[in-house]
Amino acid sequence: MFIQDLKNDFYRQLIGKRILIIVNYDVDAICASKILQSLFKYDHMLYTVVPIMGVTGLKRAYSEHQGDVKYVLLINCGGCVDIVELLQPAEDVTFYICDSHRPLDVCNVYSDRQVCILGDPALEENIPGFESIFYDSEGEDGDDDDDEDEDGGENGDSGAGESDDGNGDGDSSERVRAPKLSRMQKHEQRILRQRARRQWESERDRIMFDYTQFSYYGRSTALYIFELAWKLSKDNMDLLWWAIVGISEQLLLGKIESAAYTLELENIQSHVSRLTNKTNDQNTMSASKINFENDLHLVLYRHWTVTESMRYSRYSACKLKLWTLRGEKRLHELLVEMGLPLVHARQTYSAMDLILRKEFYSMVEQLAEKYGIPDIVYGTFTLSYGYRSRYAAADYVYALLAILQSVKKHKTPEDCFMEASDALSRQHKQLLNVGIDNAKLLHAAIFRQVQSCLEAHQVHSTGSFFYYVLQEEHAFFSYPYALALLAKFVLHGHVATTRVRQAPDLPLIATCPLDASQGMCLLVGIAPVREDSPKNFFGKAFDQAAQKSKTNLLQDFFEPSIVQLRQSDLTRFLDALTVLLT
Amino acid sequence: MSRSNKMFGDNAFNLLKDLQRSSQTIPAFDDDGVRQVLEEIKAIFEENVAQASNYNSSGDRSLWPLLNYRHAALQRNKRCLLAYLYERMQRIKAMRWEFGPIIPSDIKPALCEPEVQFFNNYSKSLAAYMRSVGDGQGIDLTGNLRPPKSLYIEVRCVENYGKFELDDGEVVHLRKNSQHYLPRAQVEPLVRQGILQHIT
Repeated sequence: MFIQDLKNDFYRQLIGKRILIIVNYDVDAICASKILQSLFKYDHMLYTVVPIMGVTGLKRAYSEHQGDVKYVLLINCGGCVDIVELLQPAEDVTFYICDSHRPLDVCNVYSDRQVCILGDPALEENIPGFESIFYDSEGEDGDDDDDEDEDGGENGDSGAGESDDGNGDGDSSERVRAPKLSRMQKHEQRILRQRARRQWESERDRIMFDYTQFSYYGRSTALYIFELAWKLSKDNMDLLWWAIVGISEQLLLGKIESAAYTLELENIQSHVSRLTNKTNDQNTMSASKINFENDLHLVLYRHWTVTESMRYSRYSACKLKLWTLRGEKRLHELLVEMGLPLVHARQTYSAMDLILRKEFYSMVEQLAEKYGIPDIVYGTFTLSYGYRSRYAAADYVYALLAILQSVKKHKTPEDCFMEASDALSRQHKQLLNVGIDNAKLLHAAIFRQVQSCLEAHQVHSTGSFFYYVLQEEHAFFSYPYALALLAKFVLHGHVATTRVRQAPDLPLIATCPLDASQGMCLLVGIAPVREDSPKNFFGKAFDQAAQKSKTNLLQDFFEPSIVQLRQSDLTRFLDALTVLLT
Repeated sequence: MSRSNKMFGDNAFNLLKDLQRSSQTIPAFDDDGVRQVLEEIKAIFEENVAQASNYNSSGDRSLWPLLNYRHAALQRNKRCLLAYLYERMQRIKAMRWEFGPIIPSDIKPALCEPEVQFFNNYSKSLAAYMRSVGDGQGIDLTGNLRPPKSLYIEVRCVENYGKFELDDGEVVHLRKNSQHYLPRAQVEPLVRQGILQHIT
């Protein structure tokens, strides 16, 4: 069931109880869990935070903590799977789900008491009505009873029935049961009922298929939890900043459309102005301030050189084709027109002249139209505290993604999760800076890979989609986020360079081997360039293709467009997918 | 060519200097040094006794400054020895508050027998006192020397520990890299052992 009044139905229920928080492995979830942790600390509620990566992780975490907790909070995970069936919980365990993945599983939506979804049902699209998917089994039992009674009435109760019949001709009006019909008519009725039932079932299957066909994302979890903090009057600048990072992640990874993002911006701006006026020390230079401004879609440009930032950002690189020589020349032209000397453009941003830095944004905005990069400007927030630190929300997102990807031999994914969680707090600035450096390396690696791929024409087309296969394990690309970023870049780059007319309409599948010893590889599906909406049909498509080709697909992650499968099954799977998508 | 100027009190001075310079908290008990100082005291005392008995018989006051001087040297040696023993005693007391009622095995050989007995007796009286405080229920005063700022702390689990039961019956499963918010008093021993890490 849905819970809208978070303060009373959710928070007040949990005061004084012990809670298990299970958090998914993504930036939005980390921000949301940090906000929740600080809220729980105010009220001294004991909690335990467990990070997980996929469905198996969820099961494991739950089974370990099973007997101890009665309240489980799932953040950005578990909305799309039937929780009660998956985890088989005891009767008195309550689950609260705050998930931005859609579509939500119908069993979770219609559960009475055990599963509560934090959200507004009016905002959800297309949830099938209860009657259309759950068969009214009481009516069915009643019909069966009637059938049996009537049959029984024929054999066992015949005496009473007939006597009733016999005696009660006059009493027939008082009888509650359906009038007795002859055998033929009963049989006909039964056939009609069965046909109606089959029709109903096929209708239900169609509705369910429509409902689960596309997977997309709803409102950012971090923002939602921040609103809970606001209603409890316990919000402050830190929590607001974490919520901003959460929603920026959704925008930057393409999970929501920019229109939805712009709508949320107004909301956030009101919070910013309210909180800025509330604190007393606004006049000190070192107070932490959040400013709204229009910013550029250039990756980490404040911490990098201008040329590199332009080259490694997907939007500018693909529009200006910066992996070719002509593209480089165009970039230099742009810099010349901006009035930015090359010497300065090649230095770190903070080392450029003050005047150049101040003018940089306005010059790019003016020239954006001319060079064909109009969408490079978007509205976002920056955090400044102290005299040196000034970070845009996007910087935080990229740094956290890089930290989450930095799994090494001695560093498990859970370590990375904890590090990312620490990097969000302002005391651990050096963690954030390390993350920014890693993000720079990641983007440079992505660009190099894209360049080699496009020059060697490694993107193949099957007529209904593109595919790109990486031959060997890569330190960066064996993980979902980096692979998704790479695939997006490759797709946009390919579309920009190719002459094939329907290129903007074709999606891309990228694979990379995960683990040479086990022969598993990671597969990512990216929606076509022309489609604006981030609705992704790959989840269902992968499922059906796997069934048709009888391959073993591991759809473990909560993102349905990222799956794992065996290297040897790859070609069969791609063939089945081709057949499916034509 | 320099002559070594051996003065009275040098040995005692070296004893104390070594104690101060040592990098360990409680260095090994300097048996030799103490014995040397004691011998020096004895030597000075003998000389003094010999000459003092002389004075008693002859009434000659000319050696009075020499006797006073030797007496002063004797007292200085005594003071240095006492300071040495007292300083060690203070450090042993601090050790009880740090480490608990059992002497750590790497410090044990550094203590001499009377010091070990002192430690045990001190431990006993401290325990008796702590038991009597707090309406007969007893408080462990060696837990926190400064009052903590909050009742609960946030900790992160560094190693797999398994199940941990809190005072009110709640069982917490301590798995590596899980973060918890628990009452401070009950998780302090685990933090000290290094299984949990305190997150500020």
